[in-house]
Amino acid sequence: MSDFEFIDHSYDVVVIGAGGAGLRATFGLAEGGFSTACITKVFPTRSHTVAAQGGISAALGNMGADDWRWHMYDTIKGSDWLGDQDAIEYMCKEAADAVIELEHYGVPFSRTEDGRIYQRPFGGMTTHYGEGTAQRTCAAADRTGHAMLHTLYQQSLKHHAEFFIEYFAVDLIMEDGACRGVVAIDLATGRLHRFRSHMVILATGGYGRAYFSCTSAHTCTGDGNAMVLRAGLPVQDMEFVQFHPTGIYGAGMLITEGVRGEGGYLTNADGERFMERYAPNAKDLASRDVVSRSMTIEIREGRGVGAEKDHIYLHLEHLGPEVINERLPGIAESARIFAAVDVTRAPIPVLPTVHYNMGGIPANYNGEVVTSRDGNPDAAVAGLMAVGEAACVSVHGANRLGSNSLLDLVVFGRAAAKHCAKILRPGQRHAPFSADAGQNSVARIDALRNAKGGRSTAEIRLEMQKTMQNHAAVFRTGESLGEGVEKLRSTFASFADVRVSDRSMIWNTDLVETMELENLLLNATATIESAANRRESRGAHAREDFPDRDDTNWMKHTLSWVDEAGKVAFDYRPVHLDTLTDEVESVPPKARVY
Amino acid sequence: MSLRSPLGRVLGSGSAKDGTGHWWAQRVSAAGLLLLGAWFLWSLTELTDFAHAEVVAWIAQPWNSVMLLMLCCTLAWHSTLGVQVVIEDYVHGPMLKVIALLVNRFVHVFVTFVAVFAVMRISLGESP
Amino acid sequence: MAEFRLPPNSRIRKGQHFAAASGLKNVRRFAVYRYDPDGGENPRVDTYDVDMDSCGPMVLDALIKIKNEIDPTLTFRRSCREGICGSCAMNIDGANTLACTIASDSVRGDVRIYPLPHMPVVKDLVPDLTNFYAQYASIKPWLQSRTPAPPDRERLQSKAEQERIDEPAACILCACCSTSCPSYWWNSDRYLGPAALLAAYRWLVDSRDEATGERLDDLEDPFRLYRCHTIMNCTQTCPKGLNPARAIAETKKMLVERRH
Repeated sequence: MSDFEFIDHSYDVVVIGAGGAGLRATFGLAEGGFSTACITKVFPTRSHTVAAQGGISAALGNMGADDWRWHMYDTIKGSDWLGDQDAIEYMCKEAADAVIELEHYGVPFSRTEDGRIYQRPFGGMTTHYGEGTAQRTCAAADRTGHAMLHTLYQQSLKHHAEFFIEYFAVDLIMEDGACRGVVAIDLATGRLHRFRSHMVILATGGYGRAYFSCTSAHTCTGDGNAMVLRAGLPVQDMEFVQFHPTGIYGAGMLITEGVRGEGGYLTNADGERFMERYAPNAKDLASRDVVSRSMTIEIREGRGVGAEKDHIYLHLEHLGPEVINERLPGIAESARIFAAVDVTRAPIPVLPTVHYNMGGIPANYNGEVVTSRDGNPDAAVAGLMAVGEAACVSVHGANRLGSNSLLDLVVFGRAAAKHCAKILRPGQRHAPFSADAGQNSVARIDALRNAKGGRSTAEIRLEMQKTMQNHAAVFRTGESLGEGVEKLRSTFASFADVRVSDRSMIWNTDLVETMELENLLLNATATIESAANRRESRGAHAREDFPDRDDTNWMKHTLSWVDEAGKVAFDYRPVHLDTLTDEVESVPPKARVY
Repeated sequence: MSLRSPLGRVLGSGSAKDGTGHWWAQRVSAAGLLLLGAWFLWSLTELTDFAHAEVVAWIAQPWNSVMLLMLCCTLAWHSTLGVQVVIEDYVHGPMLKVIALLVNRFVHVFVTFVAVFAVMRISLGESP
Repeated sequence: MAEFRLPPNSRIRKGQHFAAASGLKNVRRFAVYRYDPDGGENPRVDTYDVDMDSCGPMVLDALIKIKNEIDPTLTFRRSCREGICGSCAMNIDGANTLACTIASDSVRGDVRIYPLPHMPVVKDLVPDLTNFYAQYASIKPWLQSRTPAPPDRERLQSKAEQERIDEPAACILCACCSTSCPSYWWNSDRYLGPAALLAAYRWLVDSRDEATGERLDDLEDPFRLYRCHTIMNCTQTCPKGLNPARAIAETKKMLVERRH
């Protein structure tokens, strides 16, 4: 491939990823008259947003009093005061608009008796600043993500957005610290394409596949995060990995929190509703980190269910077939297929399972990627934006509330498109690329395609996943993290000895999986080293050797750079405690009790 | 190989805004055939020995003639529609398809006229 | 004319056999269609012996195990592995379904795995779905209305109205139905197929949509809609338990009703 030629394209904006955030940005831009290319490694409706179940939060107040300020308070408390309050204010205030817009696009939301959008209770969502239970999560039965993703794709079709489907983005093209475009490989031909644009928007999702057991799709490999790291930019708060309390035991598929929102509950081996002990008020609807930790303690103390006493039961039999069929049909189907359980008769065996990455590419509420540069912790990177799970805005801080992620997608996907409309004009002229733009990707892909090492991609991947699962789990200790860091370093180094067996050009998934593994290794390294570095407990990051939150020393975002050799460097950004406007007051840190 | 866009190919020359009549006619003629067929089978059981003279006499009765004419026409109509679907399904060459569709029409019209003529001749003419 | 036999360059040869290590007790044989577009040779069927004691229950688990441990060149689409993304649609034991939701145990004898039938094969189990997606786009699958939406709240829709779109909106575009339909096999260039027609129906019965007439106009065509001969393979094979055949029948009914 040394005599290689790129196929060149020029667009006003290039969006990478066609999940909820990527699609919302894409058609927002297309609607605004920008020539926009959306590059995606899977057909848009196969993106992992499709698997989101429970719903999207917005203080519409369709099912009782609600206020976006209460939503904001809940989100800040859920984030364990690591969330940036200006961004959280923006998201919660925009929420109602964003959801109503979705309905106008045709999302088939479930309905109330008077024809409005149905809303269900969700973990951590309260009214009157923690007093009551809010019904804030707008739902389309238990396939809200599916309903939304398909609708967003339909809107993209309506606005004639241009897609490059089954193209795998490889690297950002950076010149003088600014992003100028991106290199992608066309799976169907194996040829490399070079996209030149005034703005690249990364919407590549999370990296759940760094772990052995996760609810994430096989395609959640943190490609955008890794592209940013390879471009010499940092990622943020990677130590915060959300374990969803209810992944199906063994298989790992998600069972929505909406089950508990509709009245489902967890029990241990004694049949006890143990969450009443850990969260007397919110009980089973405490926030996810709290429930996951409680379940883990129950199992550790010998009260797990099953022959190995290593999981927990989730009950919804008492809801009755009618409620289940109307509001949770997908769950009934998943439980039947993957756990062989009839949910109208028996509980579902569940276990906390890796679900969401609060960390990602540092960005502000306009979507612009930021970094710490020359003493400025909020220095924007020209030509680069990040939205969705790939980004760390940070609205979720140390722990995301259920149903805030679908909201994050549409609010910030839309914000990115709006901001582009502010700072760019359609059809601006492009400066030419430098002569060697993208050549580093050619060399890398060439080397990987012909890699003849001793270790298969699958072998290295499994080793990484096991290390992350064992050493960066729900509870963490310095000792175990240290061991994990050492193991992962050796795994990282062994990637130099990787073997790719498929040498073909067309649809070489062996090559793609190897590039994804390379991306996962960067994400995993940033995650476990950041976890070892943060000596406190906050949100999803629970250190047994530092069980308390330490606001004096650690109320700050971790920035981590990972170089080619896997060496990690840290810096920090302050948490934005100031709100965006004076319509609401900042929520000062206090103890977090549910 | 065409370099036309996939959507362009699917949209093609647009909708013919036709087909509902054909589809509905197939259902209606099928229902008609069920009734007429039932009458025909029942009538056959009434015949004793199927001798030429007996059958001709049976056809010549006015009620039977009318019913037989209806049966022939409905059957031919239904068959035209059905064979047309089969041709559209399986014959793809544009010329061949047009020819096949025309032949289908002509053959069915011809057979219908032959049948109608035969019944009418028995019914109205002198017995041969 | 419709072709009733595969063209010479598509006829399937016998492929390689990958035997399992000796001493394993629970071995299943997977016969998998392989086509390597780079090599240009005819497709073949490779057989893999898989140790089921160290393999997940679903056919997708077995395919991934084969790719991870036996033959990394095996190529197939997969993503969510829980039956919602629609990537891993293929023909397993003679029926179109999702590899991630069908248990290997549910198949008797060797597990035979082929790409979705009668589609151009890109490589191994990866079919070219370009035409399928274009057909979906052609029915204008988005909400069309002339009455402006209320500026500050949702359009209202009764529960009963919502229930009508609930099932058709649950389609995952896996293409199992369309590629199981013989009528689609013969005329996929002009017949929209059950998936696109189900998508069209989803908008026909959405109380918020005001383009019902235009949508029916666009569908009323001897090929686009009326190639459906009520064979019912679509409904039989749908891995999500949806009923495209009924949606098509309802559409035909709407067309007749508006004439009389």
